[in-house]
Amino acid sequence: MAPPTGPRGGTSRPGPARTTRGGGISKRRHNPIKTDRDGDVAMDAAVGGPGNGKLGTAGRGRGNAPRARGGSAPRGSTRASSRIAQNLRTYGADQPSKSNYNRAVLKVLGLKSSKAATNPDGGLRGLLEFLERKASKDKAITIGKNIIDGDYVWINVSKADVPDLLHLNGYSYAGGTLTITETTERMPTADDKISNAAEETKQKLNAVLAKRYNPEARLLDLSALGADDILSSMGTFGSQSLAEKAFKALMILASSQYKRRDEKKEALQAVSIARNDINDVDQVFQLAISLPDLRRLDLSGNNLDSLSKISKWKNRFHYLEELHLTGNPVVNQENYAMELLQWFPSLSNLNGQTVRTPEEVAAALKALDPTPLPQYPSNIRDGGNNVAAIFLQNFFPMFDNDRARLASEFYDSDSWFSLAVIPNSGRPLPWKSYLKYSRNVQRFGGGRNPALMQRLFTGGSLIADMWKILPPTRHPALDQPGQWLIDSHTFPHLADPSGHGSAMGLIITVNGVFEEADASASLYGTRTFTRTFTLGPSKPSNPPPQHPYRVISDQLMLHDWKPQVAIVEQTPTVVAPVPAVGPVLIDDALKLQMTQELSKRTGMTAEYSGLCLSGPANWNFDLALKSFEEQKAVLPPAAFINGVPGPISM
Amino acid sequence: MSVSDLENRLNNVRLSAEAAETFVEWYYRCLNEGKPVAGAYTTNNRAYKAANHPPSDICINGLVVATPEEWDKMLEGQRSIKTIDPTSTHAHPTTISTVSHRGAVRYDVEAYDVHVINPDFRIGAPAELLAKPNQGPRLMMLLTVAGKVVFNGGAEQKKQHFSDVFTLVPNWDVIARHGSKATRRYLISSHTYRAY
Repeated sequence: MAPPTGPRGGTSRPGPARTTRGGGISKRRHNPIKTDRDGDVAMDAAVGGPGNGKLGTAGRGRGNAPRARGGSAPRGSTRASSRIAQNLRTYGADQPSKSNYNRAVLKVLGLKSSKAATNPDGGLRGLLEFLERKASKDKAITIGKNIIDGDYVWINVSKADVPDLLHLNGYSYAGGTLTITETTERMPTADDKISNAAEETKQKLNAVLAKRYNPEARLLDLSALGADDILSSMGTFGSQSLAEKAFKALMILASSQYKRRDEKKEALQAVSIARNDINDVDQVFQLAISLPDLRRLDLSGNNLDSLSKISKWKNRFHYLEELHLTGNPVVNQENYAMELLQWFPSLSNLNGQTVRTPEEVAAALKALDPTPLPQYPSNIRDGGNNVAAIFLQNFFPMFDNDRARLASEFYDSDSWFSLAVIPNSGRPLPWKSYLKYSRNVQRFGGGRNPALMQRLFTGGSLIADMWKILPPTRHPALDQPGQWLIDSHTFPHLADPSGHGSAMGLIITVNGVFEEADASASLYGTRTFTRTFTLGPSKPSNPPPQHPYRVISDQLMLHDWKPQVAIVEQTPTVVAPVPAVGPVLIDDALKLQMTQELSKRTGMTAEYSGLCLSGPANWNFDLALKSFEEQKAVLPPAAFINGVPGPISM
Repeated sequence: MSVSDLENRLNNVRLSAEAAETFVEWYYRCLNEGKPVAGAYTTNNRAYKAANHPPSDICINGLVVATPEEWDKMLEGQRSIKTIDPTSTHAHPTTISTVSHRGAVRYDVEAYDVHVINPDFRIGAPAELLAKPNQGPRLMMLLTVAGKVVFNGGAEQKKQHFSDVFTLVPNWDVIARHGSKATRRYLISSHTYRAY
């Protein structure tokens, strides 16, 4: 067979075949959704198709019409499905898949020198069709991914088709000679081209940065960028938006040279963007994001005509000490300096003039500190019976000395215990003894994790077994100052173990420290913790010694923070070291009694008495009485049975 | 323990962990975005008010806070930053403005754990729900959360440890609407906070 001379000179095909391909292109132009040659929507629609220029790497569509080819080509549904399968393989081939083992990559040289190279698509479509058509008379050959990269056309084909395609090596095509070789190199992708271009841009911008960075002054001099030869050669100033983008890119690149913020703060202290025709800092806003810790900024010789053109940087640049605005119309505005001092707390030098002393800067910076909530001492509202204090006085010595007894006396079959650790660095004691039991639900990823159940210890005996494993501890005495922060309050509506109605419970949250002695590992040290107990009335069936209450829930959280015990004059309530008599059980009958008593003593209506007791006093009668004394002057007449406060008989 | 008891307990453990996850995610997102949380307390819930449930017990760093709105205000105050009048003397700086600044305080949750403390909580529940067998939505839970509070100040960043202890009870309004996707399935009936 004589070598064909190219598409135009080749054996003529009947009309429909030619127009089909052309139809495919025009169809695509109106319909951006990429379809494969059977009209099915292609899987990989992200990469530009043939209609999108020469970067396309995807297969080419041919429209829906059947194509005459070599007689033996399969048709109909069999063919359609094989095509779909082929396309799925081709388009879905971004990840290496098994099908890649049956694929080969060929490089075709010669298109660039052919007449077809002047076609709108660089001649790619024509060449591919030519290859497919000429490679074999007997079977349909489909070229998969393809791309023009430099002088070469890369094609991805089935391994079985390689000999047929290599057979075309040396054929002439549209006035050029084709050289076809098989290769094991990775086929370039459209992304490579983009990233190559991006890489080139990045290098040029880095060159700009290197040229304009002064390491002695730690100054990045980005003044008069319009006169920069590298940037101009890149066409950066073709439009306003391009120039803004270039500035943003420069900032991001400059910032990315440093891994840590403090490193950046140290190395890049000053920036000049003088003489850049800036008329609103919005155009260079990125500076505030990339270099928030900037200390000196030169904006002189720009076109900022009012404060509103700078206001987008308000409350940015906390550390900006020196600012130059000379040559901007804004400096003619009255009081502009005063305003800037409010916006930039560190500003002490404006246009070369001292505008604030270091002491004033310190005060302005300090004002920016958020105010942590005030710290008050322990707040124990345990229903007036000192249950919390008594329980804790029992609990910690027993936990240190006799955990088995503690578990059997205060925990029953329905008690829950778990611990969680927040292992931060910087403490001498390792976390090993606790980590495998840590029930930090945050780390379990959903309610179905078996660890949720495995690390929850239920029932006194299981809890006692667990405690045996934990290292020995020594807690300081409860009256030791500065060691404990304890909050406690009662709450209603626990299930009453007797089965009748609901009972009151008590929550005690303890923040404290303990000494740990892991003798087996010779590890001794201090740990800090938060432990929350939920107490409720004992079950009548519990074995002796019967405490009036039991532990329903015990959650131990170990962390690295020592409680900072407050030094605040105001003390809401304190632990009274008075022994108590009974459990905290305030049922509805008792509440009614308390309400009636308060009403009698204060002259308040039952409704107001109830509110007073159930509010912050939380059914502590003395507290309710105290709060009444404080509030009675502001209570409305409607609060009292007789319209006025009644006498309080003590 | 019988098989059904064990099944119930497993179910409760699962439900409580899921509820805790949803709650923690929501609550601290509100705190970090400067959104109010008062709506999540039983104090402001119609069903609990109607059932004479006492207002939520809120104790912040040892101070009893009367209403959830008061707590929102405290959080707002914690986030606020001040601007000093540049004309005032540094010995007596005058504040020009105080604005709440969203990024000024951030809560980073590091761990949480949850226990069911009453598997059959009934207060304020609609009658039709109580008539049905209890399949888990009637939980009263104790949730403890701990982590860091990060203060992004003008001078330097400060950190504190925080610990939050919540008792959570069902939000009947949401639970009664079967299949409701609303996230606030549990309300705060008490809250103890400490940061140091």
